[in-house]
Amino acid sequence: MEPSLRTPDQTDTELATAAVRGDGDAFGTLVERYGLAARRVARAVLGPGDDADDAAQDGFIAAWRAIERFDATRPFRPWLMRIVTNAALDLVRRRKVRRAVAISETVELRQISADRRAEDAIFRERFAVALNALPERQRVAVVLFDAEGYGHAEIAEVLGVPEGTVRSYVFHARRALRQALGVYREEPDA
Amino acid sequence: MREPSLFDQEPDRVVGDRLRQALDGPDPEAFVARVRSAIGQTGRETSWDVLARWAPAGLVAAGVAAVLVGMLLRPAADPQDNGSMLASAPVQMEVTPQQAESDVLTTTLLEGR
Repeated sequence: MEPSLRTPDQTDTELATAAVRGDGDAFGTLVERYGLAARRVARAVLGPGDDADDAAQDGFIAAWRAIERFDATRPFRPWLMRIVTNAALDLVRRRKVRRAVAISETVELRQISADRRAEDAIFRERFAVALNALPERQRVAVVLFDAEGYGHAEIAEVLGVPEGTVRSYVFHARRALRQALGVYREEPDA
Repeated sequence: MREPSLFDQEPDRVVGDRLRQALDGPDPEAFVARVRSAIGQTGRETSWDVLARWAPAGLVAAGVAAVLVGMLLRPAADPQDNGSMLASAPVQMEVTPQQAESDVLTTTLLEGR
């Protein structure tokens, strides 16, 4: 068993406090706990690909290097996710990464067939296109709220904006994504 | 599907599932292992690192402060000598180049005011 897995019940704050004392395994447990969520947030900002993985990793490294500045009286995950989000947003600015819009709608519509798998793939693409069309901060907000279960206050801390702004981000993003899903018809399997 | 509202407090499971599906990358275990390995090779930031990061800005600030203090503590101008008043420093440079040369930095700063 890996050392980090000996502490599955420890809270984030306990692990972060241990990390402050130099316990790398404790921080490793936090990586296991939040690594994939951080990766999803980075991919929401940068699109799929190595840039997103690099940004998520950079965020964790920055958090590890700065762990002594973590305030143990406050929750850990917004602190971490803020660092990861900023790393991703910085990468957008530095590399001027262009969002990859997968395929044009014209092509999509031509490809619609009776094949359910093909149709599902098309709607997945439609959803991805709708997600990529959102402003970066709306993407982060809706991913953290709907996919990761963060509260409005936590997301406000991550993005450094008022809670009301987060509500607005989530509302607009969700409405756009639901519109993309709205054209998806569930059909019974043959 | 219910219309979204600004006051929704609960995550939308349909949208959340789709988001995870859209954003999950390949080989999650390898990604976590990669991050853990990178952290294992990274040292922690010490207080000296923080100080070193701020040192260049600190030196610039100290330089500017020294110039300002120098300007404030300059010997009082001779009331008979209107040419040495601060406001006339650019003129001073024109009229008495040697005197202005000794204080080019101050003159340059004052010109921008």
